[in-house]
Amino acid sequence: MTNFRTFILGLAASFGLPWLCLIVLPAMQYEHLTPVAYDKDKDGVEGYFPPAPVNGQGQLVYIREGCNQCHTQMIRPVQLGLDGWYKGWGQDQEGRPAAPVRPNVLRDYLSEKYALLGIQRVGPDLANFGWRAPDANALHVHLYAPRSVHDWSTMPSYKQLYKLQKIQGPVSDRALKLPKHFAAPAGYEVVPTPEADRLVEYLLSLKKDYPVPGQSAAVAAAAPAKK
Amino acid sequence: MQTTPATPDTDLQADNLRRAAIDKSVKGPVLFLFTNGAFWLMLSTVLGVLAAIKLVEPGFLGDCQFISYGRLQPAHINALVYGWGVQAALGIMLWIMARRSGQELKGGKSLLISAGVFWNITVTLGILSIIFGKSTSIEWLEMPKFVWPVLLLAFLCYAWPIARMFGRAFRPEGFMVSTWYILGACFWFPWIFITANVALHCLPNLGAIGAGIDAWYIHAVILLFFVPVGVGAAYYFIPKITGQPIASAQLASAGFWTLAVLGGWTGMQKYMGGPLPAWMTSVGACAGVLLLIPVGLVGLNHHLTTLGKHSAVATSPTLRFIFFGALFYPVSGLILALNSAFWTGASFQFTQSWYSFQVVSLYGFFSMCAFGAIYYIVPRLSGCEWLSVRLIRNHFWFSVYGVGTIVIMSLVAGWQQGNDLNNPEHWDQSFMNHVINSRPYVVSRAVAWALISFSNIMFLLHLLLMVAGLGRRSSAPTLLEHHDDHALPNEAHA
Repeated sequence: MTNFRTFILGLAASFGLPWLCLIVLPAMQYEHLTPVAYDKDKDGVEGYFPPAPVNGQGQLVYIREGCNQCHTQMIRPVQLGLDGWYKGWGQDQEGRPAAPVRPNVLRDYLSEKYALLGIQRVGPDLANFGWRAPDANALHVHLYAPRSVHDWSTMPSYKQLYKLQKIQGPVSDRALKLPKHFAAPAGYEVVPTPEADRLVEYLLSLKKDYPVPGQSAAVAAAAPAKK
Repeated sequence: MQTTPATPDTDLQADNLRRAAIDKSVKGPVLFLFTNGAFWLMLSTVLGVLAAIKLVEPGFLGDCQFISYGRLQPAHINALVYGWGVQAALGIMLWIMARRSGQELKGGKSLLISAGVFWNITVTLGILSIIFGKSTSIEWLEMPKFVWPVLLLAFLCYAWPIARMFGRAFRPEGFMVSTWYILGACFWFPWIFITANVALHCLPNLGAIGAGIDAWYIHAVILLFFVPVGVGAAYYFIPKITGQPIASAQLASAGFWTLAVLGGWTGMQKYMGGPLPAWMTSVGACAGVLLLIPVGLVGLNHHLTTLGKHSAVATSPTLRFIFFGALFYPVSGLILALNSAFWTGASFQFTQSWYSFQVVSLYGFFSMCAFGAIYYIVPRLSGCEWLSVRLIRNHFWFSVYGVGTIVIMSLVAGWQQGNDLNNPEHWDQSFMNHVINSRPYVVSRAVAWALISFSNIMFLLHLLLMVAGLGRRSSAPTLLEHHDDHALPNEAHA
């Protein structure tokens, strides 16, 4: 019977070590991560990092629809990928930003139950989508009829988040301004449901590149030097 | 083909009787798991076809919310993992452990069947929840929260008798590499499953660490559950059918323990360069590459055991499937290493090569071994032989070509996608290049899944006929070729 016991112990020890070091201890350590305050002298800004909690209502729609199957929310450092230099993938919407977008850190996903880092990049990264997003109405059109924006798009249409309703009186000011090919039948209009509004609010709030306390000074110092 | 030797030997007869008693004792649960698993397999491959089509043409079958790619793809993977994978694995584990330990399943058969029923009902509810918009978007754990305790209990109902058989039969002098693997799978799966589910469903604010735990969960389930069951089955059936002992005990032992030691470390490299602390992704990448060692050791051992008996691969359906499954094992290790190493991972990250790894390990390796095992086990339980050589042969070739196509195409597509993503000329471009360049690969994936679905429908029908006892009444097994009547030793039919 000792052999059996040794064998089981071996199984437990070989798996227990990575389990403890890789899962349990980091989970305990990072579960209670809190926002940190900016240092006004060093960072030049006040307040807390990250500045705003995640938009949970909209994220639920994002989760439900499985958006993370095709969209990541993670900017990789420049030595690993081109992410940081992509046009519009950070706050700076200029063609040639002075510095690459910073890679993401743990606190960017603070208070999220599960960070939607993503599975594949079928579509572009959305970590900092809020900066480059068009206005809410254009985004609604994109979600309702993706191919009205790009005819090669493989994004599904989220028509279920919109209501096709008969026009009664004047056209609703919420009605989507759809291109001809995608327009609602005559006498009808398409308006977003509250869920669609939440999703759009969430997408517009995706700005995961706020300066990291203690790091922003270096970036700010490097930026003017290049100009 | 004769199944009884010309000179009846009382020892052999007693052995055969004992085997028949063991087979009879596990018949109900094992056949239940296999038929339900085969049904889920067929469903999952059909969902795979649909998901691939939706990835190219999102308007296919209308813009219905229930069949958008974001819901179909998780449904497809979950059906493959929990519907087919775990059920088939449990059936194989139970049968091999009973046979290998020489123990009959004593009582609790109705408990096992009801655990199986609960498993299937829960997986059905879980997958319907994904389709109807209750997905959690946690990869491989997309089924809602209520699912996991039921699945865990059902799994433990099976794990307990399997572990007890092992404990009762343990003999220090016995060489039991296949039972090591199976006990390991039995032991690790609940541990991994509880850890991931408690962390991701019960702890509130894990953030990016949660994503890392999920990546670890996927790798751990593949490497410490599906791989051990597949390798265990290969270690059981290859010597049995070739009639040669396992080539090297040292290689087998080293292959097992290196897998056990390394398997738990890998996974987080999926998010290399991400928000996770760098040491976690680095350790994962390192282990992902080092796993080539156990993969190589096991591959070498299988190769040496099969050496000189390749005619049996052509003849025996079981060995044919297992042989190709065992061939896919090094391939899956290689793809894991390619995805993990930093210099190739930078290109492969967030591309279809991730899908390639899942398919090669779950389908190319594990499922092929499982098919081999099922072709061996079911005739012994149902008391009749497989009806049609042609059905088996079609199943084999469609599977091999289908899986090969998906794996190679997804890997090449991953390379293409990765290089498109990291191409400096695309810095100010829309995603048009990526979408258009990866389209043909996804089309080939849809075609390949369609071929596989076709073969799986035939497999399911064949299996149902066998379970219904409508197979061939014959003492000779169904072999794929009859060129050499003495190709197989008699023990192969025991």
